[in-house]
Order: sequence, then structure tokens, then C-alpha cells
Amino acid sequence: MALLGQKTSDVNSLARLLGEVVGKDHVLTDPAELITYEADGLTHGRTRPALVVLPASTAEVSAVLEIASAAGVPVVPRGAGTGLSGGARPVEGGLVLALSRMRRILEVDLDDGWARVEPGVANLDLTRAVAGRGFYYAPDPSSQIICSIGGNVAENSGGAHCLKYGFTVNHVLAVRLVLAGGEVVDLGGPAPDAPGYDLVAAVVGSEGLLGVVTEATVRLLRRPEATKTFLAVFPSTDEAGNAVSAIIAAGIVPAAIEMMDRLAIAAARAATGVDWPDLGAVLLMDADGPAAEVDHVSERAMALARAAGAVEVRIPKDERERELMWKGRKSAFAAVGRLSPSYLVEDGVIPRSEIARVLREIGALARAAGLRVANVFHAGDGNLHPLVLYDAQVSGEEERAARLGGDILRLCLSLGGSITGEHGVGAEKVAFMAEQFGPDDLDTMQRVRCAFDPARLLNPGKVFPAPRLCGEVPGPYRPHPAEAAGVAERW
Amino acid sequence: MVTGGASERPAGEGEQVPASVAEAASAMRALSSERRPVVFFGGGTEPWPEPPPKGAAVLRTSRLDRIREHAPADQIVAVEAGLTLEKLQRYLAPHGQRLALDPPLPERATLGGILAAGSFGPRRTRYGSIRDLVIGITLLRADGALARGGGKVVKNVAGFDLPRLLYGSAGSLALVVEVVVRLHPLPEVSETVAVDGLTAEGALSLARAARDERLEPAAVAAILERGRARLLLRFEGFGPGVRGQVERFLLGPARNLPAERCIGGDEAALWALHDALRTKGDLRAKATFVPGRGPRALASLGPLLRALEGGAAVYYPTLGIAFVAGTLVDPLTAAEAVASARREVAPGRGAVVLSAAPPALYERTGILGPPPPEVELFRRLKSAFDPEGRIGPGRLWEGAKP
Repeated sequence: MALLGQKTSDVNSLARLLGEVVGKDHVLTDPAELITYEADGLTHGRTRPALVVLPASTAEVSAVLEIASAAGVPVVPRGAGTGLSGGARPVEGGLVLALSRMRRILEVDLDDGWARVEPGVANLDLTRAVAGRGFYYAPDPSSQIICSIGGNVAENSGGAHCLKYGFTVNHVLAVRLVLAGGEVVDLGGPAPDAPGYDLVAAVVGSEGLLGVVTEATVRLLRRPEATKTFLAVFPSTDEAGNAVSAIIAAGIVPAAIEMMDRLAIAAARAATGVDWPDLGAVLLMDADGPAAEVDHVSERAMALARAAGAVEVRIPKDERERELMWKGRKSAFAAVGRLSPSYLVEDGVIPRSEIARVLREIGALARAAGLRVANVFHAGDGNLHPLVLYDAQVSGEEERAARLGGDILRLCLSLGGSITGEHGVGAEKVAFMAEQFGPDDLDTMQRVRCAFDPARLLNPGKVFPAPRLCGEVPGPYRPHPAEAAGVAERW
Repeated sequence: MVTGGASERPAGEGEQVPASVAEAASAMRALSSERRPVVFFGGGTEPWPEPPPKGAAVLRTSRLDRIREHAPADQIVAVEAGLTLEKLQRYLAPHGQRLALDPPLPERATLGGILAAGSFGPRRTRYGSIRDLVIGITLLRADGALARGGGKVVKNVAGFDLPRLLYGSAGSLALVVEVVVRLHPLPEVSETVAVDGLTAEGALSLARAARDERLEPAAVAAILERGRARLLLRFEGFGPGVRGQVERFLLGPARNLPAERCIGGDEAALWALHDALRTKGDLRAKATFVPGRGPRALASLGPLLRALEGGAAVYYPTLGIAFVAGTLVDPLTAAEAVASARREVAPGRGAVVLSAAPPALYERTGILGPPPPEVELFRRLKSAFDPEGRIGPGRLWEGAKP
């Protein structure tokens, strides 16, 4: 891997070559312009790339990658830069490939329910483009106003409604992928089950390590006939957690079921003007589908919430009020900025039946660390987003916050959960991968990478801790921890 | 009715039937040190049509049939890969749950086989395939190493997606030894509406009309026999939702059409017929196409249908998939028919795959059709997992040039 930056002449000659491909205005080397690209949504741990290239077409991406790989320069692909795990953090002395100029919707076929788009198209813009005809794109990360489809594909993004509708991987039919050396391949198609290995599934969620997606064909769904939303207020997260379990146990599949604890409620009140009571927890639930089904399901879910101890159940009186409720939820991350000068956004997953207990344990960990944690999360699938509040000006607090975040992830793992439900491993959680997976698990994933990018020039340093080289002979056989124990204890 | 031909009971010597994951791993290590090729068998419902190569070991998963962990409140179950779907469903039912997959022959189809073959049934309409329901796997590599991907929580993006990478991998990347899947509640009620006397165009437009009415059937499938299509729409869920949807369908899109409401035994018989058509004869071809090209695809499958004895087809209009099944009588005509259907469905990455066929046909047509441009990536992936090419040798265009 060749890193630039020591010699200005190297950067300049590479910039000149790349400028011939994308136009010199679309190659950034000026430190003032590079600042924007030093970090993504994970703002600490900034790193300056040697240059940023902004191609406008698949052909340009291909030419850029061919040049970079010939020079042996690492490349970090970047969408809208909203990622929360540092997946788009540059490699110092490397190249950032920003896809923000590729933002056309290329083709829409509503009869068959799909659209072919460039990676820079904002998630919500795709829905807006087809909403008038009663269709939408289902994955809805909270950043959907600005986050890009290409970034969603790289991260396998979720959102509040993935409990019923699945993640990005369930909605991507095909991708055009540029490999590290510049080779262009088309994977999948609007026809299902293309024979052969499911490389679309390999690419979705690969965090920019396997190739650069320059087109994605994604499913568009018919907007459901009816959506009913309610907000239930509980004295504590215990009752709210039990309500979630009762609703699920009744055979209901909510379109979304979100929980916020007292601190998160306070933040949402301050930031969005929602008038939710200052109590222990709220649940926000959407039921959607055919009207007859939705009426029945939402009545039943509200009854179960009351039985579980809800002190109040609110139904929005109109679409505006419903949107405000959801705004309260979707702006929660940013709203916490009202409560604290700095905060970490965690993203861990637990079995949903453990919600009440885990929230109590997180509370205990926070008290022990002398910090506050606000909880906003996708309760239906156990995807927690603990927000660890701290003040970077207070000496040692940032480190304590990071330690607390790590302790929360370990708590998730101890219950058979995951270190990330939707934000990705990125740069931030590389160290935790070896706690979730064993050496052979990681080695097997590396083999996938070796098939796509043996030189490992794409997004190096992300996802995997210190991998062995492709083609390197593995060491002697070691039993998998579960095999040694004779049981499947750890997933 | 059930056939797997010669490949269902392969003649390869040295069959191995490990009783545990650890035994399977040691068997694979032994094969690795002998450098011996190996093929895997689950329930044999969709085996690779070619018989195992000479000298290949056969590893059966039938004794890997334990339920490892069921967390009803979390709606997940972890099972060994040789467990049959029927046994799993029977275990889950008292908990009010099911795996929302319904490929034919559930009494034989195993979870590992369903993943490796990409098997599915009509409920794919609503719930997707196992690709959409699998959340974790343990695989056994050619070198005997056990590796896990995914996990046992529904939402999880840590690491590369090994579970889905094994979807449709036809036993050529690794042996699936454990599978973790997401479960769904058993519906309170189910009702199927059957509309008879349709053409393929009629079936597609009726299915689309249901979608435009924003109805959400759990399954949509057309049965094609003797040139006529009967479209089945199954509604499942809570009573009021199901009744409301059936009535809207009958008063709306199906108005003036010969529609029949079926519940209980009548409903079960309809879907049993569907399963029977999917599995009849010795030839089963799966055609995939862009959904809007369905009627053209079906027309292009006509000559193949006519080249079979007792030929019938099942068509999933919203999915863009059709199966043709029957008994092969004229391999030459059938081979020409497969070739021309492949040309017709090709746009948008359609294909005609022979999921079961006598050698007289697949030797002429190939099992999968011409290799796609990304076959070089397939080769690299295969060799990263199985550098000596010992697992399911020759499958998925191994050795083909783009």
C-alpha cells in the first residue's frame, strides 16, 4: 500500500492524472477543501486524506480506481458522509472517492416495482420521486433526508420500519460494482434468483471493502392502504419493555415499534416541541397494511400497552400530528445535543425479550461511570441506541464515555447480541469484531474479501482487525470455541 | 410422485452420516487430508442434477437434526442443518409460531438444503425466501474449519453476510451445518380465493390489480394445466383483516370473474395440488424473469411443456418465477425449447435452470445456461473457500470461461 503525503510531487502527479479523468475541478487537494472529508458522522478521530476525487459516472469511477490501484494508493469510498461508525474515515495519505455527484434516478419501473439509481441519490429523494404514484422505498434510516442509497447499500442500513420490511439487503435487486482494479461487473437483476453465488448479498453491507457501487436497482413498494400510529407513555422502561413483548407475543408484526427513555424524551421535547409527558418511557408504534387488518391490530396493541401499564395512549388526530411524533423520534440523536455538549451514539443489539433488564444494567453501568445515557431504539428488533452524554472539556470524560460504550457492547454480546445492528463496524468497532467472532469466522469473511480485492486497497483498516494476507497459508487447525465446548454457546 | 432420480440415492462409496457438528468437522478434515472430493446431501428434494463425480465421498446431514435453541419471545430458532422443515414446523406450532417458508416436500426438505438450493414456496410472495429469513449460519469449510456468520438476533450488520452468501450456493462453497432463522406468528385464519379460466396475462394483471388495491396476500400462485391458468391468492392473518381483504378482492379486481372461496380442507387441497405440480415427473425447470415479462416467458416455455408427458406449470406472477414439471419424453425437442426460453427470459438476468433433469437433457443444455460475465468472481470466491476444488466439484459454472 502506497501512502501519499510525504512528497507533494506524488500528490500533484496523481491529482493531475485523476484530473484528466474527472476534470481538475473535481479533484480536491487544498487542505481547506479536504476538511469536509476528514470524518463522516462519527466526528472524532479525524484523518486527512491526500486527495478527494468526485467522479460523475461509472466509467470515471472505473478509471479512478484503475489509476489508484496502479499507484497502490488506498481508496475510501464515501456517500453522504452520514455514517456513524467511521466507515468513510479517510486513510491518511490515501484517496477519498466521493460519490456525491452521481445522483440521478436512472430508471423507474412501477409495474415491476423497482428503480435503478446512482449511489448519490438521497434515500428520501427516491421515495419523493415515486410518492405521487403511491410507491415508496422502504428502508428508512433516521438520516434519510440526506443519507445516500449508495451509503445505505454499503452499510446495509435499516431504520425504524425494518422490523416488518427488512433491511437494505432485502430491497436491493442488483448492483453495478466497480472492483478495486477498475473492472466493472453487473450483479443480480430485476429478475429474481440470478443463478450462481449471491454476490449482491455479499456486497450489501460490506462497508466499501469489496467494490464501489455505481448503480443500484432497488425494490419500490406500494404504499400500504392504511397506517395507524400511537404513542404510549409508561412509568418506566420496564413496563414499556413488557408491552413490546406482549404485542409481539400476540402475533402482531408492527411496522415499527420504537422506545425512548426519560432522558431521550426530554431531548425530543427540547428540540422538536413534542409535548410528551416527563415520564419513564414512551413507545411509538406504527401498524400498516390493509385498513381492516390495521384497525384490528392497532386496537389490540393499544389494549396490550394499557394492560402492560401504559398511563396514557395517544392517537395522532391528523397526519401533521403523526409526523410530529415521528419527528420527535427521528431527531432524537441530534436533540441530545441540547442536553450535553458531546455524546457518543452506540448501536448494539440484544434479544428483544431482554430489553427491560438490559436498560436497567445500562443504567447501572452509567451510574458507575458517572455519566448519563439516553436510550432511543428500535424496540421491536432489540436494536439499542444508547447515547452516552459527556463533556469533552472535562478531563478524562471522553475516555470514560468510550469505555462505557464498550461495556454496553460487551453487555449486548454477553446476551448473544451484536455490536452493530445498522451503523456498521467501520473504524469504530474493529476492536470488537474479535469479541463477537472467532478467528475462523473472521478468516472466512476475509476469504470473501480476497476474492474481490486481494490487494486490500478498498477501505483498509475498516471492519476487520489485522487480517492475514490473501493467499497466506493459515496456521494449524484450531477447534472453534463452540466445537471445543461441544455446544453452540456463542454466536 | 417424489423423484430425485439416480441422484437421490447416489452410488458413491464411503457415505458419511455424521451425528454431530464435531463429527462432521472431523470427517471434513479427514477428507481434506485425503484430498478427496465430497458432495453433500440434505433431504434430496433438490439435489444437483448431475451425479457425484467418481470417487467422491458423500456426506449426508440427516443426523444433524437437533433444535439448538428456540427463543419464542425473540422469534428465532437455531437448528442443525439436517433438520427437516416439517419437524421444525411441528415443533414450533404449539408456540404459535412458524418459519414462513413453504417449499414442497417439507417432510424431506432440510433447512441447510433449503438454504443451499434456494428452495421456496408460494409464501415467498409475502415473506420472501430463506435469504430474507436466515439470520445466522455455521458453515464447515473444505479444510474442516467451522465458521459462523450473522448471529441470533434479527438485526445485525457485523461482518460480511455469510448466511446469504450461502443462499443458492448449491453445496459448492461449504457445508451448512447450523442455521438460525427468524420466525413469524402463526396466522389466526387463512383463506384462499381461486380464480379460474385465466390466461397468463390475466393472472398477471389480476395479481397486479390486487396489489394496486393494496391488498397483501401471503401467497399468489397460478396453476397452469391444459392451457388454462387458475390463480390462487391466499390471505392470512387476523380474522377481520383476512375477511376484509377477501371481500375487497371479490368486489374489486375479481368482480365478474369465476372466483371461489376456499378454507380448511378445500384450501389445503388446492395448495397440495400446487405442490404436486411443482414436484411431478423427472424434469423440473425453474424459469426466472422480470415480472412484467411473465406472459412472454410463459409463452416461451410452451414448447417445453408440450415436450413433456403430463407437463404442468406453476407461475408466480408477482415474483417473476415459473416452474415447469413433467416427464421427459423427447430430449431433443425439450433441449431446443429450453434454449429458446433462455433467450426469451434473459433480459434483466432471467434464467432457466434445470432443478431436476435426466442427463439426456442437461448434457445438451447445461443445468444453468450460459455463464454470466461475473463468472470470474465466482471462480475467485470458490477458490478462496475451496482452493482444491473438492466441494461439489463442477457446479455453478466452475471451470467455465466468461
